[in-house]
Amino acid sequence: MKSLLREMKDTFGKNDDFFILKEHFVNAPVVFLGFKSLIDLPKTLISIQKNMDSIFQSDKTFDQLMHWIGEVKVNDTKEALSAIVEGKLVILLQDDKDQKYVIVEPISQVLNRSIESPTNENVLQGPLSSFIEDINTNIGIIRKQTNSERLQIRSYSVGTDRKKTLSVLYFENNANIDLLQKIVKHIESNLEKEINNVQDLSKMMGFSPWLAVNKFNMTELPQEASKFLVMGRIIMFVDRIPFALVLPGLFWDMFAIENDRNFPVPLMLVFRSLRIIGYLMTLILPGLYVALVAVNPEVLRIELALSVAQSRDGVPYPALVEMILMLVILELIMEASVRLPKSIGPTLTMVGGIIIGQAVVEAKLVSNLLIIVLAATTIANSTLVGFQNTLSTRLFKYIIAILASIYGILGIMGGLVLTCTYLAGLTTFGVPYLYFNMKKEEI
Amino acid sequence: MDRSFQVVIMYILTHLSLIFFLYPRNIIASTDEGHWIPIIIGLLFHFVTITTYLKGLSYFPKKDLINIYLGIGKGVAIFFLIPTTLYFLMIIILTIRAYSEIISIVFLSKTPLWAIMAFLLFMSTYLASKGVEAIFRTGVLIAFLFLPLIILIFCSSVQNVDWHYLFPIVDKEFTFFTNSSFYVSFFAVGGGFLFLGFIPPFLSYQRKKILIGALFLIPCFVLSVYIPILTFGQATASTLLFPFVVALDTVEMDWLIFDRVTMFFLMSLITFIMLYISLVLWKTIRIANVCFPSFKPTFLTITLSASIFILCLLIPNWNDIERVFLWNTYLRFYVMVAIPISVFYFGKRLRKE
Repeated sequence: MKSLLREMKDTFGKNDDFFILKEHFVNAPVVFLGFKSLIDLPKTLISIQKNMDSIFQSDKTFDQLMHWIGEVKVNDTKEALSAIVEGKLVILLQDDKDQKYVIVEPISQVLNRSIESPTNENVLQGPLSSFIEDINTNIGIIRKQTNSERLQIRSYSVGTDRKKTLSVLYFENNANIDLLQKIVKHIESNLEKEINNVQDLSKMMGFSPWLAVNKFNMTELPQEASKFLVMGRIIMFVDRIPFALVLPGLFWDMFAIENDRNFPVPLMLVFRSLRIIGYLMTLILPGLYVALVAVNPEVLRIELALSVAQSRDGVPYPALVEMILMLVILELIMEASVRLPKSIGPTLTMVGGIIIGQAVVEAKLVSNLLIIVLAATTIANSTLVGFQNTLSTRLFKYIIAILASIYGILGIMGGLVLTCTYLAGLTTFGVPYLYFNMKKEEI
Repeated sequence: MDRSFQVVIMYILTHLSLIFFLYPRNIIASTDEGHWIPIIIGLLFHFVTITTYLKGLSYFPKKDLINIYLGIGKGVAIFFLIPTTLYFLMIIILTIRAYSEIISIVFLSKTPLWAIMAFLLFMSTYLASKGVEAIFRTGVLIAFLFLPLIILIFCSSVQNVDWHYLFPIVDKEFTFFTNSSFYVSFFAVGGGFLFLGFIPPFLSYQRKKILIGALFLIPCFVLSVYIPILTFGQATASTLLFPFVVALDTVEMDWLIFDRVTMFFLMSLITFIMLYISLVLWKTIRIANVCFPSFKPTFLTITLSASIFILCLLIPNWNDIERVFLWNTYLRFYVMVAIPISVFYFGKRLRKE
């Protein structure tokens, strides 16, 4: 059996940021082991020295001293290796008899960003702190926001090669016990799977990866997360993912945000109706344009029909091709503006605006009515809550537009029925996606 | 959990979709004057049937029609369920064929008929394959989207009425009893209530609320016949194939960007029809699943839809549709009378034991 020190040297010795420091504690030889990149070594050594000095005054044995500064473990090589990788300081006691070592929580390097305002969500007149990558900070933020003894937290360590901490949070009397048990069962039976992104987490929960709608509701805001907990949902945190993942995600979450309740009720109702109108407009407008121009022009009033036909004068291809072309260009612009660095981004926006706004219409490649329709659609799409929901809606509108080009207004209605059917068929652990519960036992 | 709201909404939607297309023509064709008498008789029949049916079902809590009959005996089950299955199949074929024809006539004249039928059938099959709870949830969503539109257009359709066409009010000879159109008109009252017997294992509902929902339909029945009569008069209205649709065409709304609102009204009704067909399809698959338990439900769904599509293609024109409608009327009366009464009778018998 190799000694612990030999084991450490074999596993980590080639890393240049791994330090092996031989020291003396009360005349007993000890070895400090750890990663320089994770531990702030000078500060840690100073603090341990101070601890030792103050404890040294009160007459304690060496063993008691060791228990005081950290966790004492014997012979557990795997534990020691994973402690080092996690960023802890391991103090090896050079003892001939057994391999004793102490795991000390050191002063770590500052490797996390501070708590800032959210980057993916905007808040008007509401709290602005958002979750960060470190899971302990996130759980601390939630505890501060909820401030209740009924908040329960269970943590798991998942993964074999790349380990992550996964935490499940719930409110004791509000959460659906059935739901909680199913989630815990899925986690506990899949502890060896690696969780690096939300797709991995979905697979662990048993969701099909081919869904158009994300069954998790992802939020960066503690006030949202806290409200979901009170409503009875279950929140999961994964280390290094700066979002609270709420299960189950429901359809109404797209329209209702907790920050609405910072306004009086009529205003809240107005905001929510606006979002519903935005959703319907996103789905229907592109299809309506295609249907009214290509398939059913007799539905429009004669003046409007003539002006629509005039705006399409000289456009060489059918309305559907025109629509899909411009939609694709718009999607490209949106994706490109995410990729570009902040210094070049505005240039692209300007170029895109000029191309789409003026040049493409004047070159008679598309009609200007289409530009208006597309602008309205994009704006309406952005009124929805949750970035992933806007993406799902963007997907559905293509399907409705294609159906509209074949069947006209029937295609739009049929496409809406198709979307409703798809959403109605989604369930998360027995809770349907279209769950509306106005009663006290919410979810 | 009490899902009465969903069930009532579905009830209303399926009946609305059936009322506004062919029912007015049948009632107008059945008699020359006093149309309210056949309507009232139809409605009375409807209410009696539903009350009996619901009462009978209440004796068998949480059991659906198939299990009730199988619990009594295999022979009884065959005697009642086979005609029902045939009835359902014919309804699906007829509805899809008739409504595709209507769509083709009114707005999509350049699209081939088979494409429209394939579209309707695909939507309904997809919805039916998701299960009954998904069908009901879709129903609520669709009601939320389209019901306000329908009610608005319906209310505006009284724009061009001339109340003098109301007279004569009473038909002294009751001539409609000998007219086959009267009996065909019962498809609107009898077509959509059987689903209440198939859903108890999945959704629970209260009888009272269904009856209240049925009350809401009464003005729809009456007005769907009287608005064309009041707008055009009996003589003109009897020549029209779709009187209510044509009456809607006369409505003018200055402030809307659309010329006529008929299109949206009809399209909303078509979505309700998709719901209705998916419900009937689901019921048929349930029965078929009991008879052939070895086949997977998805396989049954697809085979059934494919065969229905082929059968729909075999009906060449509107006259044949009317003929098949007439044949279906016999089946319909059998199903409408036999099943509620039998369920009620068996329930009472079970109670006595």
